[in-house]
Amino acid sequence: MRVIPRPRAGATAGESSHLYSRWTPYLFLLPYLLVFLAFRLGPSLFGLAMSFTRWSIVGSPEWIGTANYDLMQIDPRLEVALKNTAFFTGLTVPLLVILSLALAIFLNQPHKGRALGRIAAFTPYVLMSTVVGVLWTWLLEKDFGLVNVYLEQLGIAGQPWLVSQDVAMYGIILTTIWWTVGYGMVLFLAGLQDIPAELYEAARIDGASSWRLLRHITLPLLAPTTFVVLMLTIINSFQVFDQVYVMTSGGPGTATLTLVQYIYTTAFQNLRMGYGAAIATLLFAILIVFALVQAYLYRRGVTGTASQ
Amino acid sequence: MTTKTLIKVIWYALLALLILLMLAPIAWMISTSFKPETEIATIDVNWIPRNFTTENYERVFERFAILRWTLNSLIVSSAATALVLLLDSLAGYALARMHFAGRSVIFGIILSMLFVPMQITVVPLFLMFAEVDLTDTYLALVLPVGANVTGVFLMRQFFLNIPYELEDAARVDGASTLRIWWSVVLPLAKPALTAVAIVTFLSTWNSFFWPLIATRTDASRTLPVGIAQFMSLRPGQAQGAQAYGQAMAGAVIAALPPIIVFYMLQRYFIEGISMTGIKG
Repeated sequence: MRVIPRPRAGATAGESSHLYSRWTPYLFLLPYLLVFLAFRLGPSLFGLAMSFTRWSIVGSPEWIGTANYDLMQIDPRLEVALKNTAFFTGLTVPLLVILSLALAIFLNQPHKGRALGRIAAFTPYVLMSTVVGVLWTWLLEKDFGLVNVYLEQLGIAGQPWLVSQDVAMYGIILTTIWWTVGYGMVLFLAGLQDIPAELYEAARIDGASSWRLLRHITLPLLAPTTFVVLMLTIINSFQVFDQVYVMTSGGPGTATLTLVQYIYTTAFQNLRMGYGAAIATLLFAILIVFALVQAYLYRRGVTGTASQ
Repeated sequence: MTTKTLIKVIWYALLALLILLMLAPIAWMISTSFKPETEIATIDVNWIPRNFTTENYERVFERFAILRWTLNSLIVSSAATALVLLLDSLAGYALARMHFAGRSVIFGIILSMLFVPMQITVVPLFLMFAEVDLTDTYLALVLPVGANVTGVFLMRQFFLNIPYELEDAARVDGASTLRIWWSVVLPLAKPALTAVAIVTFLSTWNSFFWPLIATRTDASRTLPVGIAQFMSLRPGQAQGAQAYGQAMAGAVIAALPPIIVFYMLQRYFIEGISMTGIKG
């Protein structure tokens, strides 16, 4: 490729003080930095600036100061989107963390067949989001969907999963958990591998029960992993979009309208680019708060105590 | 003895339940895709289709450019992976092994973008590509992936830990820095390159939000965006059954290749994911 930088002549071991020419590091960095500037840093700053404009795709942008942010405070749909996203995150995150931890511990038991269980639990995560969305739209179908058919057979009334305002979000949450629980499990399994077996042996010799081993060795030593899984899940949950777009498009009504779904509708369906950028900035602000909390907790040693 | 056996029996029962819960939806997807419309819209559960048919698949190939979407996804994901490996291993090497003014500032700015959600870049990116009339092209899908942060971070972390002696030996032999990077450092970095390649390929292959916005026609539409269209076949409850057979056929076509690749390469998959998950 043409973008490979060429090192300067003279950048050889001959000159002991110069292992490489002064410009070599910059030439190595240049290709990435150009792409980074043009497609990441630049657009991020551009997006921030756009949030202070009114900009529909035709016509030119108009500087309107903080008007978009003023509008956000009285926008009922944004309020709904925030509440829905918080509800989705508040339910999905604890369920995912607990279930994936339980799965990891369960599939770490020394029984034959556990590898099969691990592969099965991870398989849904291999599927692309829209395949998962299409599949679960069918599974959660009101009349003939597999979930309702089996629920009825068990004597439980079927739910109008995706077509009722009351339960649509639960349908999305169920789908998300099935899809991503294997991801958390893999991270927890990696964490379990790092716990020295001698700790368990020593505790067993002292007559500790399985419950005490779990409570006093496994869980404390998994704290750093739990922290990572928790943070990744929170960040991903706040950005939930794909399943929602495919399964409900934010409906029925606004029952599953999430923040990113609202950004999409605002910017690319209603073509209010400026306001869309402002909502994206709000999402950024929310995520940065989580990042700061994370950094603070990390410094405080919540995770540090148990790691090396 | 008896409690031990009991625990084992319960463990295997739970294992069976787990495998069932995780895999039954996929089995049902395959089963539905081979059923005629009339057999889909019933409350009778037939795991083996009674009236086996490939009609849904024929319709899907007839009505949708699903092979084109797959090809687009393959081209975009491969190109993006190659681009990321080249850019990130060059940049990561400089950041890890060279001293120069502004190094920590540059690295800091790169890392800070980890906290900026990609949604904030999407509106400007769209306007930028629209300005130069490059929306709905491979370029619009590939280039933004090249700006990823985790790859640079992982490559830098890896390069920090390789011994200096190997580079020094090559330098004494008169090799240029680019030559050392290519023939000494990169071969050592195979594990990191593999992890970055797998994660980049997967995330590009599965990427939905940006391709949904950037593509307009089948010429560049990727598989996830194409698959999402199957749900627009679902105008009302009455027609639902007719659509689901085709939707499931489309889903199977999109799902099987990744599942097969995963079963063949699962160790690399899981290593790549736990590596980037923990460290990213």
